[in-house]
Amino acid sequence: MLKIESVSKRFRAGNFGVRDLSLEVKSGVIGLLGPNGAGKTTLMQMIATITRPTSGRILFHEQDVAKRPNELRRRLGYLPQDFGVYDNLTATEFLTYFAALKGVRSKKRVMEMLESVNLHGVAKRTVGGFSGGMKQRLGIAQALINDPELVIVDEPTAGLDPEERVRFRNVLSEIGFGKLVILSTHIVSDVESIATEIAVMKNGALLTMATPEVLLKKCEGHVWQSVVASEQFDQLRTTLKISSAVRKPDGVHIRFVGPSPEIVATPAEPELEDAFLYLMNFGEAAKPPPLP
Amino acid sequence: MTASLSRIGAIVGADFRIRFRRVSTLIVFLLLSAFAYVWIPNPSTGRTLIQINGQRAIYNSGAIGLGTASLCMIFVGLFGFYVISNAIRRDVTTRCGVIAASTPMRSGEYLLGKFLGNLTFLTTFVVGFMLSSMVMLLVRGEARIEPLVFIGQYLLLTPSAIVFVSAVAVLFESIRWLSGKFGDVVYFFLWMTTIGLVAGNEASHGKIPWARCFDFTSFGFMIDQMQHTLNTHSVSIGASPFDPAKPTIIFPGLTLTREWIVPRLISLVSPLLLLPVAALFFHRFDPVRTGAVTGKGRRNWLGRIQSLFKPLSRRAVTILEIPGRGGSFLGAMWIDAVLTLTLIPFAFVAFVAITITNIFAPPIATLPALFAVLAIIVSDVATRDGRAGTLVSVRSISRLRENYVWWKVGSTLLLSLLLCAAPLLRMIALGPVALGAFLGGIVFVASTATALGVVTANPKTFIVGFLTFWYVVVNDKGVTPVLDFAGFFGHSNANTIALYALISVIALVFAQAFYRARLARA
Repeated sequence: MLKIESVSKRFRAGNFGVRDLSLEVKSGVIGLLGPNGAGKTTLMQMIATITRPTSGRILFHEQDVAKRPNELRRRLGYLPQDFGVYDNLTATEFLTYFAALKGVRSKKRVMEMLESVNLHGVAKRTVGGFSGGMKQRLGIAQALINDPELVIVDEPTAGLDPEERVRFRNVLSEIGFGKLVILSTHIVSDVESIATEIAVMKNGALLTMATPEVLLKKCEGHVWQSVVASEQFDQLRTTLKISSAVRKPDGVHIRFVGPSPEIVATPAEPELEDAFLYLMNFGEAAKPPPLP
Repeated sequence: MTASLSRIGAIVGADFRIRFRRVSTLIVFLLLSAFAYVWIPNPSTGRTLIQINGQRAIYNSGAIGLGTASLCMIFVGLFGFYVISNAIRRDVTTRCGVIAASTPMRSGEYLLGKFLGNLTFLTTFVVGFMLSSMVMLLVRGEARIEPLVFIGQYLLLTPSAIVFVSAVAVLFESIRWLSGKFGDVVYFFLWMTTIGLVAGNEASHGKIPWARCFDFTSFGFMIDQMQHTLNTHSVSIGASPFDPAKPTIIFPGLTLTREWIVPRLISLVSPLLLLPVAALFFHRFDPVRTGAVTGKGRRNWLGRIQSLFKPLSRRAVTILEIPGRGGSFLGAMWIDAVLTLTLIPFAFVAFVAITITNIFAPPIATLPALFAVLAIIVSDVATRDGRAGTLVSVRSISRLRENYVWWKVGSTLLLSLLLCAAPLLRMIALGPVALGAFLGGIVFVASTATALGVVTANPKTFIVGFLTFWYVVVNDKGVTPVLDFAGFFGHSNANTIALYALISVIALVFAQAFYRARLARA
């Protein structure tokens, strides 16, 4: 469905947003994982035809989206990062507006979407008074109103409380059937339960793309656990790549990643958070190759 | 085709709802309607709406229609731009534009929708104002209502201004370097130049025939037709004194004469040519082109000039910050003043230019330009916290939370005094009145910039209001001493200084009361 061939985005000042990135995906939920500044948003903007790649091609159903953007736009649902709303419009008016821009004229569809994101009860309220979670749900409703084949959501859980995050995750996992959903985040827990594949980015480059199982396998034997004294923990924080730490009466229980433990530790069962941390720091492509 | 119309209609409809549901729209409308009441005075006060050779034109549909339509023409032409030139920017800041850009909507459809949205808003506003002005015929009228004559005055004067402003707003918003404060200032001078061109042409009996085709403001048409209908140059519109001893006169209203048909049509239609130009520059919300990408992205020419001075201004700022480190309220004012130099390195350039100019030129000669530059630099000191989202952090500091207005006016004053240090020193030699007027002018600018910034949360309000006032003052050339607020022409006196000091105090007290009320609601 979506093929990205050696795509780069170089800004005028010379720095790269994305460098030489290639991947191919068909359907399911793709978690795009990476730290802030990894290039996730730039990549998503290029896929969504908001900005053009400086080199490479993005193909959607074998069509170059830079040459024929409307082929993709007709089948796209996009929820950008830091999505805002027109405060003075009601939820219905807001959704009707984006429905019209996408060529959807059915009022029934607008009401269906409001119902699916559980906003039908506040359909006549102006969206300026909505909570962050309600606004995000409205955002996903506008993204889905044209029944898109490709859904792109950029950091959708930022600023949401834990309950809203779980609800949002459920909405995304439900729409993942038969569609391609690309969800970018820097929070591993956002994708670990719903992603069929995970792409990890760093410094504009793709470090890896694989199923969660494969990612876990990659860091097998590289995850360690230990119990250390508080004073020792303060020192180790700077030398070890610690993925979790819990203070208990017998000391601080830590999990860390690395090729070897370096302190007295026992191997631990890898989790996705560990795999992400391992890839970021010790993966084969942790340092992207320099480009001319 | 239908999908296109549907998309354009949706853009127009959304813009209309967003604008008309704002309380500020209602307030502006009510203020303008109230101004119409002042604009059409009761003749028993010795003033009238239209005076011709000292004779009073009776209040019929022609006179009131023309008088209120001309007021509306000024409102639409000047203030209308500042009211509507945020349609695309709103989509950038809310990021709704990015979503729109990811739909099959064409850029042309979007720009046409925004243009029609502007047009619809201004037209609705004008129609509402026209209807409310008709009521003035019932209040002050001296003849029966002739709706067609009344409406005719509006149709002759306002459409070209509405189309022009709507198209220019879309063009300016599409060009990155014209979409901000710089564009606001450019538009002000563009509007003034347009008026100067057509009014000057009519005053010289139409020596430049093509100038009539650029009469977007309708001033040229109005001047010519008034002279034509009344065979005199002595006409004034809007609360002017008249000679009660002279008989009244009946003004039938303006009509469209044959020689004006083509120029009026060209003035009406030609601004539409700006839309394809806007489409050439339109960024379609590409973050690289809107400047949303980090500072490493593309810079416009103004940004490049600013960046040249950054190393110099940074060093100056490091030294200037030292006195503000004590933690006192005055120190907080100073730090905020210095922050402006950090945020706008161009202010540092202005400081150098002002200082050098004042070494060679007589201080009074440079005052008009100095105050125009000063107003532009200080316009957003009181609004930037709200716009940058740092207001909550500022309010967490109790001393600043309660005294925000005083903090901002203090910061603006310190910044102004810093920028005007060289002229200030030279004004001392000119005597206490000149010095007092100069300082009074600075206080007036700082106070009104702060008050309007706090109340409206938009720097445009002050820029437009002040530049309009500045234009009147500069063109008055000191004939009216009360207008010489900063001693531009050396005609300021103790009364003038006292008047502007009083206005400054009232503005600040009002702003403080407004701020406290808003704080209590928050």
